[in-house]
Amino acid sequence: MTRWERSVPVYGVPVLTRGFWALCALIAVGLVLTGYREVAGLTAGISGMTDPFAWGLWKTFNVMVLTGLGSGGFAVGIAAWVFNNKKLHSVMRVALLTSCLAYWTGLCMLGIDVGRPWNFYWVVLPWQWNLHSPLLEIAVCMSLYASVPLFLENLPPIFEYIIYEFPKWRSIAETCESVMAKVYPFIIGLAYILPMMHQSSLGALMVLGGKRVHTLWQTPCLPLIYVWAAAYLGYNCVTLCILLAKLAWKRDVDPVVMAELNKLTVWLVYSWTAFRFLDIIVRGKFLHAFTDGYFSILFWVETALTLGSAYVLSTEKGKKLSTMFNAHLLCAVGGMIYRFSPTTLAFSAKENAFYFPAAAELIVCLTFIAIAVLGYLVAVKKLAILPGSNEDWMKMAKYEESIKPGIQLTGYAPADH
Amino acid sequence: MAMTRREAFKTLAKGTLPVLAAGCVSTALPTAARAADDNELESNSKYRKVDEAHALGLLYDATKCVGCKSCMVKCSEYNELKPDTRVDGIHQAPPSLNYFTKNLIKLYRSDDGSDHSYFKQQCMHCIDPGCMNACMFGGLRKDEETGVVWWYGPKCVGCRYCQIACPFHIPAFQWDGFNPKIVKCELCRTPMQKDPSKKEPGCTKVCPTNAVIYGTRKDLLAEAKRRVAAAPGKYYQDKVYGEHDAGGTQVLYLSRVGYDKIGLPDVGEASIPSTLKYSHMAYKWMVLPLLLYGTMVALASKNFAHHSHHLVEEQKETGLRPQL
Ligand code: SF4
Ligand code: SF4
Ligand code: SF4
Repeated sequence: MTRWERSVPVYGVPVLTRGFWALCALIAVGLVLTGYREVAGLTAGISGMTDPFAWGLWKTFNVMVLTGLGSGGFAVGIAAWVFNNKKLHSVMRVALLTSCLAYWTGLCMLGIDVGRPWNFYWVVLPWQWNLHSPLLEIAVCMSLYASVPLFLENLPPIFEYIIYEFPKWRSIAETCESVMAKVYPFIIGLAYILPMMHQSSLGALMVLGGKRVHTLWQTPCLPLIYVWAAAYLGYNCVTLCILLAKLAWKRDVDPVVMAELNKLTVWLVYSWTAFRFLDIIVRGKFLHAFTDGYFSILFWVETALTLGSAYVLSTEKGKKLSTMFNAHLLCAVGGMIYRFSPTTLAFSAKENAFYFPAAAELIVCLTFIAIAVLGYLVAVKKLAILPGSNEDWMKMAKYEESIKPGIQLTGYAPADH
Repeated sequence: MAMTRREAFKTLAKGTLPVLAAGCVSTALPTAARAADDNELESNSKYRKVDEAHALGLLYDATKCVGCKSCMVKCSEYNELKPDTRVDGIHQAPPSLNYFTKNLIKLYRSDDGSDHSYFKQQCMHCIDPGCMNACMFGGLRKDEETGVVWWYGPKCVGCRYCQIACPFHIPAFQWDGFNPKIVKCELCRTPMQKDPSKKEPGCTKVCPTNAVIYGTRKDLLAEAKRRVAAAPGKYYQDKVYGEHDAGGTQVLYLSRVGYDKIGLPDVGEASIPSTLKYSHMAYKWMVLPLLLYGTMVALASKNFAHHSHHLVEEQKETGLRPQL
């Protein structure tokens, strides 16, 4: 049985694979389209957005759905550091990396989506803020989160890389590391409060949508239900990344940590579902879950996917890695549909109004996902991100030392000892 | 997965509490908060203070409108907008408000064709506007004296949140070009400022039947009520739309057919911004977020110290560099 003791880079596989070039090609096309969008505007050929459906995929999917998936850094982190769940430290780096990539690509999409981005500079002048706008809160907290705490949290693997690979810079990197260790609790405090605020504001956005959002979704509690969904989506994402690493690079899995991830996912989904039902029942809208045709079906699809997967994860069967993978995947799909519903699937703009993304819109949407995937693939091969055992580290060290003479990855003694 | 009840509770607490706590920050602590602050609405929107006697608006009486569309033509002329004749190249007949069209006359016809009514669409100039509440930096603002809601380009980032938050689907976005604008009726604010000889908006000036008239909200409301009182049963539910709807609007409507049929949905009496009032309370003075931050830092510091200690111990055993 493997025990995860430290993060170990993926070694012995090339970075520049065929998949890498395929992603690059997609990204190149997408960036050209993005450039064209900046000049031509959001016209019909580029986006499917219209006045009644003013928000399309870029905001509703890349920002509102995918940052939910990128909430691992916050959801796993809070359990590990604030609630002292020691088992989860081993997966923190995966969580932080996925969060960082999801947030930064999301922020890029936000910048590309808005029509007059040059006016964003008001954001640095707090007295110009309209504090009542949920979107302002998102713009401020999300960019602050991504550029300060989340960014800093992702630095330690990079410092380590410098320490091992560039001995000249070692002392500087070590100094940075020790400074970081001193202020770390203050950073991570920020790294949890900010996402709580903006992930819930993402829900608050659609509260202003009023009756256009179907009553099964529209509630004053939308912010709470939204951030709650982000929490389990974060767990789904981390678990899926780890299982994919097992599939792709035969990385061993620590059953104890996996069981812990499953357990937390299960309880988050259970409590989320219970709260959601409670909210609907208290508002007296439960009948709508049966009478509103498409909307009722959508509601049950979300519920079945999340609740069903959580149930499977809680049984013996859920321990089998393939079942675990499928369950987390379906759960994530359910949660993502939920986060997508208030803005799009359960949003009735106007009679006859219809939204379907234009091809270019879709490609740009995928491009920014591809950038995140690419970043992830490079990072896990260069940096110590994915969890492994000390033994794995030794094997990796032996391999690396054999191909890169002069590098030393074991037998570390701190400078002051 | 076998677990005892105590374990189950512990897991639940570990997983759920943080999220719950987040919810307290973000959503609301309903009852206590409600009791604490019933006039939050006031501060949500200081523009409520616009004096009724100075707040300007329109009164549109659909029963008087003959559908001549003169107001559409005049509106384009006053606001220097190119008439939208994209339908057939001749008629100014856009299917909906758009970035060439601040004012639109449409026809409602019942399914069996026996009943019909013209209706006019333009900004309602809400007393507590959803669009303004949504806007990040104040790209939409309300004139402090007249209460007219207008768009101010230098503060607009083009996020289109105003389009989501306006219950009447009014703001239109310019989908073409690299420098888009939000276009909506501004009660002819700019044309009247530019040319002081213009004493009223284009649409009211030109209307041949006085179906749409201009004035202060106070006068218009009184006039509307007079018409309702003079002919009970003539107007739908004897109601002046906009008196209370969406927190009250400065543009008022009278109609014989149902208001929902002429593009004025039942949006309730609460203003759109007031639906967020509990969320705002959670942020009041930033007390809750700061408290939560402090607690988390305290707990994390303690756990972090233990963790670092553990890392050092481990390194002594393995000789491998500790990882944060
Ligand atoms: S599009 Fe402009 S005016 Fe509308 S909410 Fe966004 S920033 Fe404000
Ligand atoms: S009608 Fe819409 S655009 Fe006009 S003030 Fe009200 S919310 Fe704003
Ligand atoms: S008030 Fe002016 S801008 Fe508004 S509908 Fe009338 S003419 Fe058009």
